[in-house]
Amino acid sequence: MRYERALPYILAAPAVIVLAALSIYPLLYAVRVSFQTGVGQNARWTLQNFTRLAGDNFFLAALAHTLVYATVALTFEFLLGLGLALVLNSEIRGRSLFRATLLVPLMLPPVVVGVVWRLMLNPNFGAINGTLKSLGLPTESLTWTASPKLAFLSVIAVDVWQWTPFVFLVLLAGLQAIPQEPYEAARIDGSSAWQTFRHITLPLLKPAILIALLLRTMDLLRVFDQIFILTEGGPGFATETISLYIYRAAFRFGNFGYAVAMSFVLLIVTNIISLAYIRLLQRQEAT
Amino acid sequence: MKAHVIEHNKLRPHHHAGRRVSARWLRYAIIIAALLATLAPVYWMITISLKSEVDQFSVPPRWFLFSPTIAHYSDAFVERSFGQYLLTSMIVAVSSTLCAMVLGTLCAYALARLSLPRRLSTRLSLWILSTRMFPPIVTALPLFLMMRDMRLLNTRASLIIVYTAFNLPFVVWMMRGFFQEIPRDLEEAARVDGDSRLGALVRVVLPLVAPGLAATAIFCLIISWNELLFALILTQTDAAMTLPVGIAGRVTQYEIKWGVMSAAGVVAMTPILLFALAVQRYLVRGLSLGAVKG
Repeated sequence: MRYERALPYILAAPAVIVLAALSIYPLLYAVRVSFQTGVGQNARWTLQNFTRLAGDNFFLAALAHTLVYATVALTFEFLLGLGLALVLNSEIRGRSLFRATLLVPLMLPPVVVGVVWRLMLNPNFGAINGTLKSLGLPTESLTWTASPKLAFLSVIAVDVWQWTPFVFLVLLAGLQAIPQEPYEAARIDGSSAWQTFRHITLPLLKPAILIALLLRTMDLLRVFDQIFILTEGGPGFATETISLYIYRAAFRFGNFGYAVAMSFVLLIVTNIISLAYIRLLQRQEAT
Repeated sequence: MKAHVIEHNKLRPHHHAGRRVSARWLRYAIIIAALLATLAPVYWMITISLKSEVDQFSVPPRWFLFSPTIAHYSDAFVERSFGQYLLTSMIVAVSSTLCAMVLGTLCAYALARLSLPRRLSTRLSLWILSTRMFPPIVTALPLFLMMRDMRLLNTRASLIIVYTAFNLPFVVWMMRGFFQEIPRDLEEAARVDGDSRLGALVRVVLPLVAPGLAATAIFCLIISWNELLFALILTQTDAAMTLPVGIAGRVTQYEIKWGVMSAAGVVAMTPILLFALAVQRYLVRGLSLGAVKG
């Protein structure tokens, strides 16, 4: 009987210990590093790493890039994903084939996504400019990842390409779980298609929308892989996001304390935004 | 579900036949456009991996007609070290998946079924989930310093340890969901027949969640296989780096071998796509950490 009572703890313990060792301990370690300058014998306690943040224009620019990147990509992914889900939420021949095809970008290693789009976007022999050129269109100004403004749009477009299918799949699952009765009632009332969408579909789809947006937002704020492969944050500083800047500070310049201090800012920003979503979700579930 | 949808369509108000037909064509046009946009870039990479350099850089681009060669594949995997990276990727992905599955499934069973105090169980589940919410760069820095202190940099072991921890929350949440869907009665029946708790788990519950176990394991494989940031930070030698790190290193060099890079890309993506097809049914659930049971 005693064994019976201990059993859940015995089963849960190994996982909990591993997680604690690799998440709580590193976090404490990181806190210490962020409050120190110098290493080993020369380590001194200081607030320098944090005071430096406010005056670092590159840090502020990287933070701004990240927020703009996340907002613009999220908007497009949501609108396109919702549109596709509405189009596909009916009996259509080949629907399962379509779903299977959309898995491709989602599951692709981010590194491969970067390779694929480097090949597409290369100004001289990429498939996009090559195709435009053979159609007789001018391509001199379309330098994609080589010009600061277009580079930022390019990395956003690549994110939209890869992750719209995710929003689509979650929203489609949400749409299919909506019961039919409200639609029948709306039809009897003579509601227009837009009214039905606005007053029935959208409110009932809200939990699925919030989950899709929450998960995408958290991923967008930490974006690293594709940009690292596509532009390495360049040209210049044009596509440098916060994760890339932290990586560079730590592993190019060996400035770990400062990098950790910046990563705490990223953690706080991510947490505030996620909590806002979760509040909305809980309110949704309560009503 | 099907019945619902069909009925829904029938209920649509009395459109003119012509309008209905054109709406259907519009629908198919959207689908075809989306399919093309999705597949064309990936197809382009596959063709580049099979083209001689003359064909790679030809204008207008050759989408279909070129004489295929496997020279880039042998260049990447025989002449260069990509074969080695591939092996490392496989060892790391399989080992970390096994570790995470064993630890995570046991923990999930305890959380879903055994009599932990209720509040403790909820707290623990949420804490486990929260470790997964950290942006990877936040944990990557201290993990690098820890691994350096333990002299584990540039070893496969460091990646196996980190990926196990990275996948654990995922396994716990997925399996917790699958366990909760199994009716308790089945387990109780086995216990009445004289099975111990663990006996009931092994003989009755695990076979019932087998599809869930398989799907979760495949997701772990995909996540470990695709991961770049931790691998980039923890492994920098040819003997220890994974395929994504190998590709990243080549891409960011001054002179890029397009064919070699594409060949490595095709090899990195193929097993993942096969696996993804196998877990299609659980895809939405896996991608949302079990939040959407699509």
